[in-house]
Amino acid sequence: MTTKNVHVKIDEMKTNAGLIKNLELSIGKVISDNWTEPMGPTPMPHISTLRDWDMKLLNKYKPFYMPDCDLCCLCTYGKCDLTAGKRGACGLDIGAQSSRIVLIACSIGAATHTAHARHVVDHLIEKYGRRFPLDVGGLNVKVEAPVTRLVTGIKPETLGDLDEVLTYCEAQITHCLSAAHTGQEGNNLDFESKAFHAGRMDQVGMEVADIAQISTLNFPKADPEAPLIRMGIGSVDRTKPTIMCIGHNVVPSVGIIDYMKDSRLDDKMEVVGLCCTAFDNTRYYDRAKIVGPISWQLKFVRAGFADVVVIDEQCVRTDIFNEAEKVKAPVIAASEKNCMGFKNRTNDPADQIVDDLVSGRVPGVLILDPDKVGEVAVKTAVKIAPIRRKLNVLPSLEQVKEIAKTCRHCNLCQRSCPQDLKIPAALKAAAEGNIAPLTALYEECIGCGRCEEACPQKIMIHSLIVKAGEKELMSEDNLCRSGRGAVSDVEIRSVGGPIVLGEIPGILAVVGCANYPHGGKDVYDICREFASRRYIVVTSGCSAMSAGSYRNEEGKTLYEEFPGGFEAGGVLNVGSCVANSHIAGAAIKVANIFAKRNLRGNYEEIADYIHNRLGAVGLAWGAYSQKAASIAAGFWSLGVPVLVGPHGSKYRRMLLGRSDKPENWEVYDARTGEIVNTGPAPEHLFQTVETPQEAMVQIAKLCIRPNDTWKGRAGKLSHYIDLHKRHYGCMPPDIHMFVRTTADIPITMKDEIVPILKEKNWKESVIPDPTLLPRMIRKQKE
Amino acid sequence: MSMFKDIPVDVGVIYEGERIRRNDMQVELGGPTVKEKFELAKVKPLDQIDDGKITIIGPDIKDMKEGGVYPLGILVEAAGATLDQGLEGVIERRIHGYLNYIEGFMHLNQRYDIWIRLGKKAFQKGLNSFEPIGKVLYRLFKSELPIIEKVQITFITDPAKIREMYSGALAEYEARDAKARGLKDEEVDKFYGCALCQSFAPSHVCVITPQRYSNCGAISWFDGKASASIDPKGPVFAIDRGELLNAEKGEFSGVNEMAKKRTMGEVNQIWLYTAFDHPHTSCGCFEAVAFYIPEVDGLGVVQRSFKGAAVNGLPFSTLADSAAGGRQIDGFHGMSIEYMRSKKFFAADGGWNRIVWVPKEVKEKVKDFIPAELVDKVATEEDAKNIDELKEFLKAKNHPVVARWAAEEAPAAEATALQVTEEAAGTMMPVATAGTLPIMAGGFKIILKDAKIYANKVIITTVKDSKDKR
Repeated sequence: MTTKNVHVKIDEMKTNAGLIKNLELSIGKVISDNWTEPMGPTPMPHISTLRDWDMKLLNKYKPFYMPDCDLCCLCTYGKCDLTAGKRGACGLDIGAQSSRIVLIACSIGAATHTAHARHVVDHLIEKYGRRFPLDVGGLNVKVEAPVTRLVTGIKPETLGDLDEVLTYCEAQITHCLSAAHTGQEGNNLDFESKAFHAGRMDQVGMEVADIAQISTLNFPKADPEAPLIRMGIGSVDRTKPTIMCIGHNVVPSVGIIDYMKDSRLDDKMEVVGLCCTAFDNTRYYDRAKIVGPISWQLKFVRAGFADVVVIDEQCVRTDIFNEAEKVKAPVIAASEKNCMGFKNRTNDPADQIVDDLVSGRVPGVLILDPDKVGEVAVKTAVKIAPIRRKLNVLPSLEQVKEIAKTCRHCNLCQRSCPQDLKIPAALKAAAEGNIAPLTALYEECIGCGRCEEACPQKIMIHSLIVKAGEKELMSEDNLCRSGRGAVSDVEIRSVGGPIVLGEIPGILAVVGCANYPHGGKDVYDICREFASRRYIVVTSGCSAMSAGSYRNEEGKTLYEEFPGGFEAGGVLNVGSCVANSHIAGAAIKVANIFAKRNLRGNYEEIADYIHNRLGAVGLAWGAYSQKAASIAAGFWSLGVPVLVGPHGSKYRRMLLGRSDKPENWEVYDARTGEIVNTGPAPEHLFQTVETPQEAMVQIAKLCIRPNDTWKGRAGKLSHYIDLHKRHYGCMPPDIHMFVRTTADIPITMKDEIVPILKEKNWKESVIPDPTLLPRMIRKQKE
Repeated sequence: MSMFKDIPVDVGVIYEGERIRRNDMQVELGGPTVKEKFELAKVKPLDQIDDGKITIIGPDIKDMKEGGVYPLGILVEAAGATLDQGLEGVIERRIHGYLNYIEGFMHLNQRYDIWIRLGKKAFQKGLNSFEPIGKVLYRLFKSELPIIEKVQITFITDPAKIREMYSGALAEYEARDAKARGLKDEEVDKFYGCALCQSFAPSHVCVITPQRYSNCGAISWFDGKASASIDPKGPVFAIDRGELLNAEKGEFSGVNEMAKKRTMGEVNQIWLYTAFDHPHTSCGCFEAVAFYIPEVDGLGVVQRSFKGAAVNGLPFSTLADSAAGGRQIDGFHGMSIEYMRSKKFFAADGGWNRIVWVPKEVKEKVKDFIPAELVDKVATEEDAKNIDELKEFLKAKNHPVVARWAAEEAPAAEATALQVTEEAAGTMMPVATAGTLPIMAGGFKIILKDAKIYANKVIITTVKDSKDKR
């Protein structure tokens, strides 16, 4: 409810109350502020405002660099060799350069989400007006935009209010990115701090995008029982014309779904999606279907079941027009950010565009009006489907055998494969008539297509794998819960008791992309393990799809087996990438709801609260993108630990705590002002793990926090010890660091742990009211 | 796990949430199809207990048919120099917790309602007798509760013997409940404080008395007593209740001192039996919240699970937000549902005579504790959805609060105040300049000539006139 630049001029006014002559009133901004919460110390922080807080974390969790590239080639002084402590022409060493790349990645990620938000908000304002009220959860959600409140100090009430929030983010992201220019920032920790700042902007940008679309498009609103959505190619009726939407921005898809419904074609065709557009389609229309994570788009396109491919933004294969052309599927590009070289046909008559696409005169078009995208996509699909049905897009099994025979066994495919898949051996077997090894690659292949690029024989290796796995592909028919949006305030209140009483050992957020080392089953296994252990498991994005892609002994998917609420053993899908903000939002709301801490412009205090109290861990098992980096950065700056799978090592650095340095683990006890050593809790802020087993042990350990009640700690240690024994075959070597009083020892393990404590010269300590901020030490009131 | 080396299956907290489906079960003990079943804890003199003895009366698990359903009674008899009968309920509920630590063993409910399943896999691993199950119980009792010096455990599967003991067990529960409900705050010298949720709400402490459960509904005075005796330095601690300063309001000197100390002087005075002036503080995880409704001069209660808005138009989330965070908020009070069964339930404010609105789900639960003449006078969401309907309802039923209405009926005035702030004036010059600018208050005359007013920001807030609620 903000009005900008008010100007009033009164030459002369006589009233009973008095006389006014030549009055000029000029007001920069009129803010209708019914929010009684006092403004905190850091509303709309600049890039250095929260530097002290960032440095606290960065000194506790020092960056450990794993440069993926020893060279810098960003300016014309270069290339500069940065190995063995050498500095480049600008003066940067490899540590600062690695941090600089982290900052660039996080800035790109934050810019992408924020630009996405900008497009969504501008479009929705145009459609619904600035005054359209925000509503993310009706009566059960009082804190509608926790991240925005926390970072900016603004409590947005209408669509128009989001405009100002985005303007702020846009400016900050520009500052962040500018710091990466040659000859700006020189210190690695300062680069890191700015990367954290980009992460904060990213969280705000995501939140803005999602609350805008939830409010206007009537997505599920903090609903634990959001509908179960059919997922996988097997769920698609392939006799119907099929439109496949790829990307992240729901706006063009809304155009398609609306047009389809208006023309009463909703029973006669299929709208399916890949990645976040798929999720947001299902949040808008529960008969939309999900075909799978986005990094597998190559296989879904090559499988040929899509009659029209509509691409919007982010993570779309940039050669999609080539691929679609091979299967004779026309492409509609619908985003300004992703024009793909197509001619802009936005202002042409729809039927003319349809004709051009159906006849094959053009392989694709750019249409920047979502309603027109809807009309063209639907009409094209209906017309082209009967023609395309006659096509055979994948090679026959006999052809597979013949093609495999042309392999020269140079091994270049395997060498270029990020998963090191044994492709040459599989091709050899296929050439001999045994397709099984090729079929086995199907599950693990992430579909990047690098093998084909490497192949000197130009073998369509990926197509052969897809053909070999065709049966699996076509029978994929699972269930994924549609994105529920935020966690309601009431749900958060309800878990307070179980968390302090140790009944809920922690919160695990399984998020991010699908660049998995061994397929999506690992994600399912990890989610199921922790849900069975009564952790709260939150999912989003491509990981949420993988979590729903497998079934238990009884044939139930994860979303059927476990409840969808924020509760012990709940598995909840918040939704698309931008819905990730609700996970940070839930953490932020805990501080507001239980401790009544003010959120408004109060970042440092709330991050300190979350870091020291909330046993939450993020796992991005298949993270690949810059957006995943910026999402992680948002969690780092809140002090929430994040784990990534093996490919995550290519993010160039970890943020590791040193359990061998006791001085790193000191906090103030806010009750007494005394310094208390809490042990390494949580031990790391960002870590790469190599196997799902290692991930599981680390998840259990990283849920430990200094404030744990003894009941809570005993429960957390039980899981940590059990998983460690299961996967490493022994007691964890650092268990004594996590026992503060004997009450912390799980009662079933006393006789095992007490001797270890003796051997390690363990001393009892206290459970503090932990904080890293001296100003939070409470003063005795008289 | 060395403590349970001789037990054929694993034992650990991690098995707590384990569910055993019908198809996977070896046997079911108790449960909905068995009428007579029980588990009971008894405190006995030290010399009457044979420490570590495990007795099985009737067929053992290995003698039971696969997939069969059998009755079961579990009797835990404990002794200790400082152990008293008041802790029987606490000991008994440990049975549920401990048995669920056993891998492949599921225990639901308590008392005469127990429902147990043993999984096939655990049975195949060798868990085919009550003997090792008894050992697990025995070791955990001794390990967690050092006040128990001796304990013996009996499993009864013989239907005749169960029948014989069943009615006795029912009588025990009955007597225990009656005693617990009859126990008055004045009759004990110790209350218990619980600071468990300080890990999330650093300034909150619960005071738990015989007549007032913890806000979360999870800890009774007896639980508090047990926890404090097990771990005196732990988050549940004894409070010497001290002198009774105000019997009507429920003010005790020991409670005040504790609050002062634990809240660093934020809260110095607590009245346990009222929602006004110095009410008990509210944490974040209370089961329900009581809220004052000035229009009818009564209190409403709404529980966490209630969907929709309470009678005053506000949902639980908003009302809870008004109370939470370890603060004392006049007219708002986070509390347990169990507190509604207490004779001291807002006794100083008139008790049930002052309660005007309670959602049906809660009303049903506590119906037996509402004075008979008031049951029909307390509105639910079915009777009243807003204040006007509530007024009508209360008038029609002649609820006791109606008699209080006689006096005042001040209109709720709302005024909008214009507040000009001069944050970061920067480029914009004056906040107010004028050639002539006499602004007269009182008689009210304004003359502005050649006036220029610039403001970077004008913040408009609505100010509500607060209304006295007494």
